[in-house]
Amino acid sequence: MSNSSPIGSVLVVGGGITGMQSALDLAESGYYVYLIEQSPAIGGAMAQLDKTFPTNDCSM
Amino acid sequence: MITLSKVTSITGEEGNFTVTVKKYPRYVDMDACIACGTCAEKCPAKVVDEFNEGLAKRKAIYVPYAQAVPLKYAIDRDNCIYFQKGRCRACEKFCPTKAIRFDDVETDITLQVGSVILTAGFTPFNPAKFDNYQHARFPNVVTSMEFERILSAGGPFAGHVKRLSDGVEPKKIAWLQCVGSRDMNRCDNPYCSSVCCMYAIKESVIAKEHLGKDFQPTIFYMDMRTHGKDFEKYYDRAREEGVRFIRSRVHTITEVDASGTLNLAYVSDTGKRVEEEFDMVVLSVGMEPAQSGIDAANILGIELNPYRFVKTADTSPVSTSRKGIYVAGSLQGCKDIPQSVVEASAAACQASVSLSSARGTLVRDKIFPAELHVAADTPRIGVFVCNCGINIGGIADVPAVAAYAKTLPHVAYVEEDLFACSQDTQEKMVDVIKKEKLNRIVVAACTPRTHEPLFQETIRNAGLNAYLFEMANIRNQCTWVHSQEKDKATAKAKDLVRMAISRASLLEPIPDLSVPVSKTALVIGGGIAGMTAALSLANQGFSATIVEKSGILGGAALDVLHTWKGEDVPSYLNDLIRDVSANSNITVLLNAEVIDASGFVGNFETKVRRNDSIQTILHGATIIATGGKAARVDEYGYGKNPRITRWHDLENNPEMLADANSVVFIQCVGSRDENRPYCSRICCTTSMMQAIAIREKSPDTSVFILYRDIRTFGERELLYKKARELGVVFIQYSLDKKPVVTETPDGLLVDVFDPVLQQPLQIQADLVNLATAIESAPNEDIAGFYKLPLNAEKFFMEAHAKLRPVDFASDGIFVCGLAHYPKPIDESIAQAMAAAGRAATVLSKTAISVSPLVSKVDTGKCIGCGLCAEVCPFGAIILEDADGKGYRAKNISASCKGCGLCAASCPQKAIEMLHFKDEQILAAVCAAGR
Amino acid sequence: MENFEPKIVAFLCNWCAYAGADLAGVSRLQHPSFMRTVRVMCSGRVDPIFIIQALKNGCDGALVAG
Repeated sequence: MSNSSPIGSVLVVGGGITGMQSALDLAESGYYVYLIEQSPAIGGAMAQLDKTFPTNDCSM
Repeated sequence: MITLSKVTSITGEEGNFTVTVKKYPRYVDMDACIACGTCAEKCPAKVVDEFNEGLAKRKAIYVPYAQAVPLKYAIDRDNCIYFQKGRCRACEKFCPTKAIRFDDVETDITLQVGSVILTAGFTPFNPAKFDNYQHARFPNVVTSMEFERILSAGGPFAGHVKRLSDGVEPKKIAWLQCVGSRDMNRCDNPYCSSVCCMYAIKESVIAKEHLGKDFQPTIFYMDMRTHGKDFEKYYDRAREEGVRFIRSRVHTITEVDASGTLNLAYVSDTGKRVEEEFDMVVLSVGMEPAQSGIDAANILGIELNPYRFVKTADTSPVSTSRKGIYVAGSLQGCKDIPQSVVEASAAACQASVSLSSARGTLVRDKIFPAELHVAADTPRIGVFVCNCGINIGGIADVPAVAAYAKTLPHVAYVEEDLFACSQDTQEKMVDVIKKEKLNRIVVAACTPRTHEPLFQETIRNAGLNAYLFEMANIRNQCTWVHSQEKDKATAKAKDLVRMAISRASLLEPIPDLSVPVSKTALVIGGGIAGMTAALSLANQGFSATIVEKSGILGGAALDVLHTWKGEDVPSYLNDLIRDVSANSNITVLLNAEVIDASGFVGNFETKVRRNDSIQTILHGATIIATGGKAARVDEYGYGKNPRITRWHDLENNPEMLADANSVVFIQCVGSRDENRPYCSRICCTTSMMQAIAIREKSPDTSVFILYRDIRTFGERELLYKKARELGVVFIQYSLDKKPVVTETPDGLLVDVFDPVLQQPLQIQADLVNLATAIESAPNEDIAGFYKLPLNAEKFFMEAHAKLRPVDFASDGIFVCGLAHYPKPIDESIAQAMAAAGRAATVLSKTAISVSPLVSKVDTGKCIGCGLCAEVCPFGAIILEDADGKGYRAKNISASCKGCGLCAASCPQKAIEMLHFKDEQILAAVCAAGR
Repeated sequence: MENFEPKIVAFLCNWCAYAGADLAGVSRLQHPSFMRTVRVMCSGRVDPIFIIQALKNGCDGALVAG
C-alpha cells in the first residue's frame, strides 16, 4: 500500500452479473464505484438466458 | 455507471491507481432519451441482433433488450445509414425529445481509484469453424445460447420452439455435450466448462414443458457433471420426466432430407454402431475467456494461465498477480452463476480491505428539505397526467382524463405533461407543489415499479413525505395493452386515476425507520471458512468472535494436504490460525457452543456456553460456517479391515502404501444414492490427486478408480487427463451393479462389471480407499435458533440459489463453506470472503434504514391468539407477555417486509399495514366499481 | 347479455403478478380492458372483505393473483 492514505473508490470492469454484484456490495459498504461496461447496457450473458431471471435490477 | 467504455491504461499502485477509460459515443443524449422507441420504429436499417444470437433483426438505433439498464437507445455506427452513406437522420427527425446527437465524440475519462475488480466474463465457444458439428451448414444445428433465445418468451419466436429450416415444431432434439470443452483433438480446450451438463438438462426439461409429453429429448454425454447444490436431484427428475441420457460422443451428423432432419451416428455403450434421426441438434458449447477481458488483463498487467483465464491461487481465489487488482466470475475460470456471484462479493470484500481507512470518504448522503406537517390538513391533491410522448397520449384521450380528474373530490390541481419523468418536469413539479400548497400527489403515467422512487424523491424535494404519493398505471397496464380500443383505454385510464385519487386522499405520512448497528460479527465455526470470514472482517476494522465447538481451530481442512492446484494446506492453515489468534479484533472461543439466539439485523443476541459458563454476545451480523465432514459408512467393509480406508487416510499414513502393488479407489460411496441424493463435488478431484501421487512415486503400483461419472470440473479436468496418461485405470460402474469388496487371506478382492468389455472383472487389491459422502454438521439447533431453513440433507438453504448464494432471507445472516454444500478449499475461502463482504455492508453503517412500510399492532384490540406470528414468513411478529394480561403481538420492524399477511389474518382487526391500511385499499376498491 | 362488459377488480402482488401485468405492457400483449388493478405488496394481504366490498360497489368479479 502507498504511504499516503488510499482512495475510497473502486473501478469494476464488466457489467455482467459478477460486476454488478461487486459494485453493489462496495457501494453499500461506503465506497464510490465506477462500473464500466463495453456494450450499451449492463446485464451480460445472464440477461440472454431464458428462465433464472427474476429482477432485471441493477439498483445503481 | 459508464457504458460503451474500455480501460486503456493504468498507473499507480494498490490504494492509488490512475485509470484512463475510453468512452465511445452513444450518439443519443442519455438525459433526453425517454426510451419511447420511436427512433427504432422509424430507423430503416435492419441489423443482425447479437442479443438474440443472430436469430432476429434489430435496428441500427437500438436498446439491446426490453429490460436493459440503462434503458436508453444507442446508435450502432457501423450499421447506421447516415454514418455509412451520409443521408437519413430519420431518428433525429422523429425523436420527440430531440435526443439524437450525431456530433457525439469519443472521450477519454481519467479515474482515481483505490482498487480495480475485473469481471469481463466469458464468450461461448464458436463451433462454426469445425465441420464435424455442421453448425455453419445445417440450419437445425444450433448452439445452446441460440436455443436459450429460442426458448425465451422475449426471444425471436416468442418462446415457440421451432426448427430454423422449416418452422416445424421439433419432436426429437439431441443435445451434444462437451462442444469446445474436454477436447484436445479439435478445439484445444482441455478443460471442462463446468456448466454445460446442467444447462443442457435445464434446456431439455423446459423444452419438454413447451412441447408436451410426446417430445423426446436426448442428451449425449461423456460424464454427467451435476456437482452443484441440488443439481443431482434435478438430473434424477429429468430422467423420470423422460429425458434420455446416452453416454457416447456423436461422431457424424448428416442431413437426411430437404426439410433439414438430421441423422446422428454414434457408438452405444455396448460398443454397437447406431444411427438415429433427430429434428434438431443443440450443441452444448463451452466457455472461453472473453477477448475484452484478456485485453483488459493485459492492459492492467496481470498474469493469465495457459488457458488465458486470469491466474489466481487456491488460497487467495480472487487476487491477481498485481496487488490491488482483483478478479471474479468466469474470467477466472469456467463457473456457474452462484459461484460467480460468490466471487463478486469476495472481490468486493478484498478490494475494500486495503481501502478501509478511506471508507465513506467519497460517498455522500443526499439531503432533503425538512418535511412539512400536512397529515392533519384537508387533502389538496395534485394530479399529473403524462402523455409519455405518444405512448399514452396517442391512444387514451389525455385532455379528457385530466378534465375528469378536475371534477373529483379533493383535487386541487391538474396538469398534463409530455413526459412527467423528464428532468425539467421534475423541477416544475416541485415548484407547483409549493405554490399550490399540494399535500397529496398522483402521477398517472407508467408503472410504480420503475418510477415511484423517482417521483417520491421529487415530492421529498418539495417538502412532502414520500408516502403521500400514488401512481395510476395508465401506460403498461392500459394504453400499451389496449392500443386497438382507444375509447375503452380512455375509460379505463379515468377509472385508474379515480382509484388512485380516492386512495391518495387517505394516505398518511410515514416516518423513516432505521435501527442502530452493533459493529461486530459472530462467526459460528472455526474452520477455514469461519477463520477467513473473521479475518476478512477484522482486517477491515470490525471485530469478530469465533465460536468453535472443538478444542482446536482448523476444521475439516486439518486432514487435507494439498489444494487441487497443489498448494500446501498445512502451512497455509498454520499461518491462518496464527493470524487469527494474533488479531486483536478477533476473539476465539474454543469448546464453545451456541445455545440460544434472538434479535435481528444489526442487533443479534446470542448465548454461548463454554465449559460451564454461559455468556451473551451482542452482534450486528452472523456468519454461519459450521462445516461438514466425510461420512463414516459400513459399506464395502469399512471399519472391519484396516486395508479399507477412506479419504485422506492413505495420504496421511504413507507407510501403508510402501508395499502395496495394487490400490483401488471407489467413488460415490454414500453419495448420489437414495439416502444422500447429491454429489459431494470434491471426491473425484481428491481421488485423482492421490492416484497421480501414487503412480508418480511408484509407477509399478497399479491404481484403479471405480467411478460413476468423473466430475473433475473446470481445469481440474487436467488432473483427469494426467491420471490417464500415468496409466491409472478407470472403470465405470452403475448404481445397480456396484463393486463388491471381499476379504481374502492375501488381501482384498474387488469384483466389478466393466461396461466397455461387457464382462465382470476381478481385481486383486492391497488397499481399497473409499470416497465417502461429505455430510453437513448437525445444523438443526443453529437453524432453529436463527430461524434459518435447511435443505433435505441438512445443509443451509441460501436466500436464492443463483443470485444470493451467501445470504439468507433474514437480513444480517450469511453462510459459507461446507455448511452450505460440499466444496473445495478455494471455493470455501471465496465464499467466506463473500460472507464477510456481505456482512460488511451491514457493519459499515451506524444505522440501517429499513422500509417503514411495516405492520402496527393495536395492543388494546389484540387477544394474543398468535395467528399473526404463525403466518409471518419473516419471523417479524413475536408474542410478548403483557403483565398478567396474557400474550400480545409485537412487530419487529427491522424484520418486517411489509407483506401484510398479519393484517389480513388478524381476527380482531388489531393489525394495520402501513400504506396498505384496510381503508386505503378499500378506497381504491370501491372507486373501481363506480 | 351479448354486449355485457364485466368490471373485474384485480388484486395483484407487487413482486410477481403486478410485474407480470407490466411486462404484458412492455410486450404489447393486447387483452380485454375490463380489469382494474389494485396493487398490494403480497396477495396474502387481500382480506375477503375487500372482495365483498368490490362486489357490493359495482364490480362483477375479483381476481387475486400472486
